[in-house]
Amino acid sequence: MNGVAIHRIRLQRGSTVTVRIGAQIRPDEVIALRRQPLPPIRVPVARPLRRAPGEIDEVLLVRPGSRVVAGERLAASGNHEVIASVSGVVLATSRLDGTILLAPFSAHEPVISHVRGKVRAIEESAVAVEVPAARLRGIGGTGDAVHGELAIGVQNPEDELRAAAIDVGATGRILVGGSRASAETLTRARAMGVAGIVLGGVLDKELRDFEAIQRRRSASGGMTGSFGLLLLEGFGKVGIDPLLFGWLRGHVGRMASLFGADGLLYVYDAGSAPIRRPLPRVGERIVAHRRPYQGRGGVVVALLDGLHAAASGIPSRMALVRFEDGRLAPVPLANIEATLAAPDH
Amino acid sequence: MSAAGRAITSARATTELSLLLDVGSAWTKGIVVGRSAGRWRIAAHAAQPSSWSEADLIGTLAARLAGAADQRLTDRLVAIISDAPRIACHTPSRPGRIALAAVSTDLSGRAARRAAESAGWVVAEAATLDDGRPAAERLAALQSAEVDAWLLAGGFDDETGEAALEMAGLAAAARGGGRTPVVWAGSPLLTEQVLSLFEAGLARAVPNPRPSAEHENPLPLRRHLEALLERLVEPGGRRQLAPVGFSRAVTQLARGGGRRISAIDLGARYATWVLADASGRSESRVLASGGLTSPRLTEPGSPALIAHSIDVPVDELAVADALQNLRARPGALPQTEEELAIVHGAARVLLERLVGDESAFDSIDLLIGAGRTIAAAPTPAQAMGILLDGARPLGVTQLAIDPSGALGPLGALEDREIAEGVEMLRDDLLTPLGAAVVCRGGRSGHPAFWVTVHRAGWSSIGPIEVRAGQLQLVPLGHGQVAELEIELEPGIGIGGARRARRSRASVLGGSVGLVLDARDVPLLLPRRTDDRRTILAAWRDALQHEQQVAAGEPR
Repeated sequence: MNGVAIHRIRLQRGSTVTVRIGAQIRPDEVIALRRQPLPPIRVPVARPLRRAPGEIDEVLLVRPGSRVVAGERLAASGNHEVIASVSGVVLATSRLDGTILLAPFSAHEPVISHVRGKVRAIEESAVAVEVPAARLRGIGGTGDAVHGELAIGVQNPEDELRAAAIDVGATGRILVGGSRASAETLTRARAMGVAGIVLGGVLDKELRDFEAIQRRRSASGGMTGSFGLLLLEGFGKVGIDPLLFGWLRGHVGRMASLFGADGLLYVYDAGSAPIRRPLPRVGERIVAHRRPYQGRGGVVVALLDGLHAAASGIPSRMALVRFEDGRLAPVPLANIEATLAAPDH
Repeated sequence: MSAAGRAITSARATTELSLLLDVGSAWTKGIVVGRSAGRWRIAAHAAQPSSWSEADLIGTLAARLAGAADQRLTDRLVAIISDAPRIACHTPSRPGRIALAAVSTDLSGRAARRAAESAGWVVAEAATLDDGRPAAERLAALQSAEVDAWLLAGGFDDETGEAALEMAGLAAAARGGGRTPVVWAGSPLLTEQVLSLFEAGLARAVPNPRPSAEHENPLPLRRHLEALLERLVEPGGRRQLAPVGFSRAVTQLARGGGRRISAIDLGARYATWVLADASGRSESRVLASGGLTSPRLTEPGSPALIAHSIDVPVDELAVADALQNLRARPGALPQTEEELAIVHGAARVLLERLVGDESAFDSIDLLIGAGRTIAAAPTPAQAMGILLDGARPLGVTQLAIDPSGALGPLGALEDREIAEGVEMLRDDLLTPLGAAVVCRGGRSGHPAFWVTVHRAGWSSIGPIEVRAGQLQLVPLGHGQVAELEIELEPGIGIGGARRARRSRASVLGGSVGLVLDARDVPLLLPRRTDDRRTILAAWRDALQHEQQVAAGEPR
């Protein structure tokens, strides 16, 4: 059974929404058109109107912030007028040289929804869509909104996603990696046309290196296509919770939408994803969130009475956890969550 | 009887309990206040991640109370606490987001940003003429920003420069109408022109926070933005906001005790600093993203700075990962010594940034540390270390922590109640750490000052020679009073009023003792990694070792 979530697609101010409330939309559908501001141009006003620069305010028909369309009058004096040659937005006027600073608009660019669902509301700068999908919320992410079929890139949830594992078969897909991926792997994935990557962990430095590479490529005009990255568990080398990894593996081939900057993944036509719950009980499976057990799964064997000090010296309520590698360790209850299969799973 | 009295005493007929709650963004603190031997005392307190249920918190409080409570009540404690009158505060549900357009990053932009951040806003997007971006990119960035308000700044008070008008125009273009308010905080000579760019009644002019190249005047803008934040983001119930409650309670403590108090509450999202004096005047600064999940901690350079300031061998890459994990899951606890050292290092850096370059901790009587990282540090010496290293309180200062987190909820009481509420619990609110003598200046290894400690009923200690770069600790237990004779080496200072070479001060002991700190202000550390770690470890050991000695002293 699918879950249902409301997803807000943010729009840049000034975008024109092209869908209506109640419309069913596909992930590749255009939901709005936007016009990006281009480098501003100076439009002479005082000189063509034969006025002194300091008199510009007396002849202007627009003001900073005004949106104008090509052919619109910007200023007039007697029988003379200044017409906008392009559509754009007025940024400033100058009494020093008698000009208008106008940022022309680019041609209309489509805003792709990247989600499937029903438009529920159109807000001032967002479109709210009811998405019939299981939703996974990560702890972070980066990059664009993307969609594609779900694919698995590693054998085990604690494996590292290697560059060599990415081939043309992954093009256009959202690839589930394991415990980390290097900047080189991420760069290769993007270059190979992978839509997005889901990881348990990533080193902060690798992520920053990857983002720096993308910025440089973007600045040099060498970037094509969108790419998103979702981080599920934490920073560092952190495996994906085995239960969650199993669920993702069970949905290979399903369509998914990934919103890197929002840290969200929707999987369509999927049963509900495993649930996380604080304060696990004895016998429940858990995943740990802090070193030295970060990302490891286990089972709560006992809840200890009273407060006990962790290695850091902080007294806290503790659980005794049998980790999957056989180790038995006390862990602060604040550092673990129960991970439970959804009732319908 | 006042409402404060009623809040705390209305359950008298049955249990005489009250519950104080501080619901933070990461941790929730609960405090049970009960009447014992005719006095109101903090009977139990507990904290837990805010993602846990209230029933869990009440269960924990009941368990802690069970040992001290009348046995006939033990089985009913959960119900009694649940039904007890409450005084609650909470971290703001979300920070206000503001877009900033200013002429220069370092002048108008810096002054406006500081005022906005100090008022509790998060600057979601900032554009300045010198930010290195093309105008189109600046415009696109401002257009994409999701904000509650716009702040425009630029031009000195005697200027009519076009640069400020250009930035105001850029903001008008990016904003594109709507009801989002606009604040103009620039040259008054441009006010009419700037306000004319926006819909009537939506833009307000406030005094310029950077009226000239030499001066900043952030207070009027800060006050205006505080009021705007309250109106837009948290309408009603301002007293129930934890930063506001904390500030009010500290102000009352200063007024009631006739002292000049500086207090810091370092939370997961928010950081609040308050300076209050005996007359009831106070100044506060609330940074909505100044807490331990601050994105600034993970910006390039910050992890290296933190790695540089801790005594455990950990590189900046591991520090960066640990800080990111802290941001992702602020309710989790540092489990290893290494992680704890990183968190404490981050706390020191945040404290330094909270007060900036102002001498906010000079010549204060009492410095209070609040928030789980400081007030629930595993040892009092660690709390003392964070406060001394981060705040560097110049002079002779008492230090204390708010271990239960009661200051925030008490500050949520109404004006006419707060004095009574704070007074009733005055003896329990703070845990004294002791006192510190912190000096500025000196040449490393050379004498900085001498202190003779006179304690009633004990032989005097000293004069103790304290060399520049040295940290020493003198045992001085809870409630123990000492008179200090301080003699400074020429070139050494201990704050505004104490310019004389010889001075006297009276101090009170605490769980750590009396710290003699000649490590300079700001703290200076050796460049070489090995030397730095050695000296950091020596300072830590000095505090820990002396604490053990202090614990053995008769009280």
